[in-house]
Amino acid sequence: MSTATASGLAQHDLLGTLLATPRPPEWADLRAAAEARLAGQGLPAAHSEDWKYTDLKALQQIAFGPAPQAKVDVSALLLPEMVGTRQVFVNGHHAPHTSCTSAVPAGVRFLPLSTASEACHALGTVGPDSASPFEDLNSARFQDGAVILVPKNLKVALPLHLLFITKAEGPVAVFPRLMVVLERGAELELVEEHHGEGTYLTAPVVEVRIAEGAILRHERVQRDDAAAFHLGTLKAEVAKGGQYHSRTLSFGARLSRQQPWVRLAEGAEASLDGLALLEGSQVADTHSFMFHAEPHGTSHQLHKCIVDGQARAIFNGQVLVAPRAQGTDAKQQSRNLLLSESARVDTKPQLEIYADDVKCSHGATVGALDPEELFYLQSRGLNADDARNLLTYGFAADVLTHVPVASLRRALRQLVMARTQAVSLGDLS
Amino acid sequence: MLSIKNLTASINGTPVLKGIDLQINAGEVHAIMGPNGSGKSTLGKVLAGHPSYEVTGGEVLFEGQNLFDLEPDARARAGIFMGFQHPIEVPGVSNASFLRLAYNKKAEADGRDELDPLEFDDFIHEKIKLVAMREEFLDRSLNEGFSGGEKKRNEILQMAVLEPKLAILDELDSGLDIDALRVLGDAVNRLQRADRALLIITHFPRILETIQPQFVHVLSGGRILKSAGKELALELEERGYDWVLEEAAAGGAR
Repeated sequence: MSTATASGLAQHDLLGTLLATPRPPEWADLRAAAEARLAGQGLPAAHSEDWKYTDLKALQQIAFGPAPQAKVDVSALLLPEMVGTRQVFVNGHHAPHTSCTSAVPAGVRFLPLSTASEACHALGTVGPDSASPFEDLNSARFQDGAVILVPKNLKVALPLHLLFITKAEGPVAVFPRLMVVLERGAELELVEEHHGEGTYLTAPVVEVRIAEGAILRHERVQRDDAAAFHLGTLKAEVAKGGQYHSRTLSFGARLSRQQPWVRLAEGAEASLDGLALLEGSQVADTHSFMFHAEPHGTSHQLHKCIVDGQARAIFNGQVLVAPRAQGTDAKQQSRNLLLSESARVDTKPQLEIYADDVKCSHGATVGALDPEELFYLQSRGLNADDARNLLTYGFAADVLTHVPVASLRRALRQLVMARTQAVSLGDLS
Repeated sequence: MLSIKNLTASINGTPVLKGIDLQINAGEVHAIMGPNGSGKSTLGKVLAGHPSYEVTGGEVLFEGQNLFDLEPDARARAGIFMGFQHPIEVPGVSNASFLRLAYNKKAEADGRDELDPLEFDDFIHEKIKLVAMREEFLDRSLNEGFSGGEKKRNEILQMAVLEPKLAILDELDSGLDIDALRVLGDAVNRLQRADRALLIITHFPRILETIQPQFVHVLSGGRILKSAGKELALELEERGYDWVLEEAAAGGAR
């Protein structure tokens, strides 16, 4: 279906097109509820406050079809620490021949949703019903995804690797789904990567449930095609004394949006770190929500963007401290480096604090490289270009310092070096 | 080695250096002393090429070459090193990789072989002994979260790595406790050679007990008011700066 708009551009009924594919039979209730919400609200309008800096017009001009099964070569994406602990999904479908779970310890479930029992994994139960219309789209049409369950007190030694790959001939839409459950005292490191080729929309939904005292370290890497749209939702609930630490690294996509939502119970800890490297006319938006629901929670956010060309970064960081969440310690920092005159950043902290005994701080900086820092490096013999590139690299690499998987850390540093023109500086790891 | 003639410089249109003359030869150790705001740190920054300062007159020759023809990085590669009073923190770049990068840029300029990470590892482990730096500081990000003393230690380590012809050390003693001051003072002494010159910029004479200068200059109001041998430092320790300023004022009035 196509209608003429005031601007004269053909604009598809995006929602109608995306929902035109048959509704998969499983998870019927979840899908019906999501479709009902979509029928009521539709996709975000251009004037809505929550989406005012992130223009979906380009998205609406593309008729995305369903993604067919496809084969891809993942050899370049394998990491030595995780060769036996990976699940691969291509175009939203599980890829059994490229997955390998031989090293996953006994007791840990790390399965495609299509082989897991519906009753065991209550999808759509973490957090609010719907954080975004794209979450509802995912719920309505996801084909497959992964479920991870770590039993009580099991500390998983090897990190788990999830690869979501999209390979599109024509424009396709994919809806990766992930449910992570850590039982009491469990510990896990998880690497979630998104890669792709072609024009596509990916709208992943990740749900995380962390029981008392459990700890999840979650590395999220977005390396989608420069022609792709990535509209992701993450919802995490952290029970008493549990910890959720995530780091979201955004490199690709013409337009990306990350919507992490985290609820902290008593004494829980969360960190939501982020890095976006943007060039050309890329747009990257992060809308985060940190919900201190109970006393003595600790949260930390460091969000960094490097914006070049005519690219644009948006950060909106909401922190909500409930009246009973006394003793909350919440820190948020948004640091942005502009490398060109026409690059743009919109950053906005939003703190709502209803408890009186709390420590909450936030800060935001937007600017170019510091001349004092450049002079320091030049005074050590680096020419002006090298000094600039080294500082730019360091600004980004700072976020990678604590990536726990060594081979991933190396790969990300190399990627950052390439994107910050720091390759000529040699090995900086 | 360094010849400064009637150097004037300003920042944001305000004159800070008002006619400096100074000759430094290879093998010499000079101390520039003076009260706060005298312009002594400015002199170091102007020599190193800090972009905030504008040179408004005079001439500086370094080994016969006009210093102001060179960008700050070219001055560094030509053999000028400035130890910063407040070294900059650079997150995300390990100290070791920065030191290797700086070493290799200098080596390339000098026509020497560059060192790969393994070779540099051996090289730097010898150098850190000189400044008694703990190994973990090599893996940490450059100066990030270092204490004042650790940063100064790192400055002298950089000096040891870069082997400059002229080292300008700006307020090396600030932020250092007595033990660290002695360690770094000894390190600087061990780095001093017949083909190297030192310019120590300091407010307090204490550091000059360890690093003994042959020449002491008192800078105030953007001018060198008095130059003498190391005994001047002792006198300043006992009497402060006021008498030099008064003497100069009286001299100026005559």
